[in-house]
Amino acid sequence: MAVAIRFDNVTKRFGDLTVVERINLEIEPGELFFLLGPSGCGKTTLLRSLAGFYVPESGSIWIGDRDVTRLPPDERDTGMVFQSYALWPHMTVAQNVAFGLELRKIPRDEIDQRVADALAMVKMGDRADYKPNQLSGGQQQRVALARALVIRPQCLLLDEPLSNLDAKLRLDMRTEIRRICKQAGLTAIYVTHDQKEALSIADRMAILDRGTIQQCGTPESVYRRPVNRFVANFIGETNFIDARVASISNGRATLDSPVGPIISTALPEAPLSIGQEVTISLRPEVIHVGTEPKDPSNVFTGNIHDTVYLGEMAQHWVNLPPVSSFEEIALKVFELNPKILAHDEEVKEARVWFRPENAVVLVT
Amino acid sequence: MNRAISKIIFAAASVIFALLFLAPLSTVIQGGFWVNGRLTTDYLIGVFRNPIYSEGLFNSLMLAIGTTSLVTLIAVPLAWLTNKYDFPAKKWVSGLILVPMILPPFVGAIGFQQILGPYGGLNTLLGLGPVDWLGRMQYWGVVSLQALALYPIMYLNANAALANIDPAMEEAAANLGCKGFTKFRRITLPLMMPGLFAGGTIVFIWSFTELGTPLILNYTKCASVQVFDALKEIGTNPFPYALVFVMLVCSVALYALGKFVLGGQAYAMQSKAATVSNVRTVTGARGLLVLLPFAFVILVALTPHLGVIATSLAKPGSWYQSVFPASLTLGNYAEALGHEMTVSSIRNSLLYSSLAVAFNTVLGIAIAFVVVRSDLRGRGILDALAMLPLAVPGLVMAFGYLAISAHVSNTDWVKTSPFWQNLLDVRTNPTFFLVIAYSIRRLPYMVRSAVAGLQQTSVTLEEAAANLGAGFLTTLRRITVPLITANLIAGGLLAFAFSMLEVSDSLMLAQRADYYPITKTIYELFHLIGTGQYIASALGVWAMAFLAVTILGASLILGKKLGAIFRA
Repeated sequence: MAVAIRFDNVTKRFGDLTVVERINLEIEPGELFFLLGPSGCGKTTLLRSLAGFYVPESGSIWIGDRDVTRLPPDERDTGMVFQSYALWPHMTVAQNVAFGLELRKIPRDEIDQRVADALAMVKMGDRADYKPNQLSGGQQQRVALARALVIRPQCLLLDEPLSNLDAKLRLDMRTEIRRICKQAGLTAIYVTHDQKEALSIADRMAILDRGTIQQCGTPESVYRRPVNRFVANFIGETNFIDARVASISNGRATLDSPVGPIISTALPEAPLSIGQEVTISLRPEVIHVGTEPKDPSNVFTGNIHDTVYLGEMAQHWVNLPPVSSFEEIALKVFELNPKILAHDEEVKEARVWFRPENAVVLVT
Repeated sequence: MNRAISKIIFAAASVIFALLFLAPLSTVIQGGFWVNGRLTTDYLIGVFRNPIYSEGLFNSLMLAIGTTSLVTLIAVPLAWLTNKYDFPAKKWVSGLILVPMILPPFVGAIGFQQILGPYGGLNTLLGLGPVDWLGRMQYWGVVSLQALALYPIMYLNANAALANIDPAMEEAAANLGCKGFTKFRRITLPLMMPGLFAGGTIVFIWSFTELGTPLILNYTKCASVQVFDALKEIGTNPFPYALVFVMLVCSVALYALGKFVLGGQAYAMQSKAATVSNVRTVTGARGLLVLLPFAFVILVALTPHLGVIATSLAKPGSWYQSVFPASLTLGNYAEALGHEMTVSSIRNSLLYSSLAVAFNTVLGIAIAFVVVRSDLRGRGILDALAMLPLAVPGLVMAFGYLAISAHVSNTDWVKTSPFWQNLLDVRTNPTFFLVIAYSIRRLPYMVRSAVAGLQQTSVTLEEAAANLGAGFLTTLRRITVPLITANLIAGGLLAFAFSMLEVSDSLMLAQRADYYPITKTIYELFHLIGTGQYIASALGVWAMAFLAVTILGASLILGKKLGAIFRA
């Protein structure tokens, strides 16, 4: 049932503007795959090209072993959930869901059964005779999902399906969507700009910026080992430190930074050369403050000059004094289950340390 | 949407539109400049040299200027009051004030004559002798009748323009010490100018070429009546062509001026309804004071039609040297419905109008679809073209259709075939040309309605259908059309109502009694000696009631958007 999806060198232009350029993607059967990026990065364009609303200028798109590049939308057999849900206001919930089945000339009693099943799956069985405008945003969203799923499409396309919901509902719905996708065994492509959605439920994800794929991988690999400044900055929060390669041995590099030498074992795939300019990405939560160093490699002494207390954690700004004539560096640090209190009267001196595998070296 | 499908629709809509709209216009132009196989401007110059024609043109121009000025004077203060005050019975009044729009001035003219005639109600009321008011003041008679019928168009435009002005604009002026009439003149009026030009253009073109009212009031020295009188010579005389051409050029030039130079610069408001507009509630004596101008205008505007109703109820010959008819009867209605010409005319009008609306709906949806849903390069041009029938007077179009008909019915293949004769020769059967004329004239309403509907309907609703496997036609039938039904019905009702009481096309194209529509029948009955005007009035009352019901239906469906349809 589940099929693979392949983008092969896909380029889409609007007039002079190239929106996506030479995209290559392979999505495995049954995978919940995310396209993630800021607005204007081309993620929705890719999804709409897959649905058939856009035809790319070059390259090809495959669903299973079918080349669908030039196929009209109504012959692609994809189920799409639109950002605005696009429920037809002149039809009831049940009529909305039944529409795709009617087009497939399925017998009436089977339609009724499948509509009932689909609505039950999204927990909307008791709203079958309502009109869309009588439903809340979350309910509309679930009807849209049922409408897309009931036709048992080859793949499910989700275009920012949760962006119109409030925060609490979004949390519930995203696990719900994953449950439904896995239960139906569908290949699903999910477009969003919300990294939390992607990190929490994606099997794999592609990060897009300005029409090209920056990185593709599992949420963990993308988060822990971003390949460039854009990805490191877009997914989660990070500190950037400019540095220069001093020495390398056995996958362990020593880097000269404004605050002194930093040891890293998180090196890029491409080999580094001595003297090369690089950037070190340090996530705020991998920097420890005020505790005994468990690794002697990267230990510094700095000043906490600002603290924001957030309950489960505290967010500190720690200034590290520079060596020689460089400027000092301010690091953002998260302290979980915080001991250092907020708004303490004076600037405090504190010891700061992090493990070499958490200092990610970026070439660009 | 699929590009190939939009291209096909675009091409089909353009060809149909060009054939039905541009062909008659080019026939008019050709008829005035291409005479006996050579190009000449003699006739165009001749129109201006000929004292009769040039006087007619001048008089028509004066009619248009007079009517537009009077309309502005009536409509703008009323619109200002509506936007400024909440007064007793405002809801009723703002509905009633629109009623004259639906009553054709041409019918009102009959009642007008009864009241203002030498032996009519006014002279008797004032105890004067047989003063021939209409004979002396024909010009003012036509102007006031037209103004009293057309001011609602201006009122709707002015009202919309005022409602669109951010109250903060006026508050800012007040804050700087500007108030009263100065504030209105310096701030409000300039801001509503584009709206006024939009409404003024329609009123001007309408009154410039109005045929029915001058005809009934016997004001023959104007261009429209001269064209009507020259119809018999349509095959031989190039002068009416040239005259019609001049009217066409004037109208289109004015339309272009209004749309692209003056009306085009609609001011973008920073914020809309950011602050609650400061409508003041007035009650008691001050409330009545605000109500007074509305009541006065409604009363005066409805007088001609009250006259029609009174005439229709009068025993023939009994409204003579009396304020009101001396004895009343329902006999005129019975006679009107029994008269074979009226019965067939009602049937004819229903048939023509229904066919016209059906044709319009299809063409309107097609054009709106291309304009809103495609990215084809020429869609803007198609949109502008579809609005052009507003700029081209009905008289010009009717003349063009008549000229085409006269031209083709002289060819052998039409002469020898009853089928083609029935279709294309208006002397045999005007159905085809009347339906085309009715529908093309009302096409803008239909296109506007459909465009508005499509713009309000998110394209993702159609994409969702395509995604589930619906092809173009299925999507259109199951999703798009049901979603814009309200707009289509509203536009269709308006088109239908206006077709039912169309004057110029009907008077000119219907030439055989058994094919007369209602308006032509009213006109012919009016000229019958004896009981004619009473039966004509009875038929007119029937038509007005019918029109009132349809427009009411349209306004209920369309709500406040009704005004948007009358903007150029």
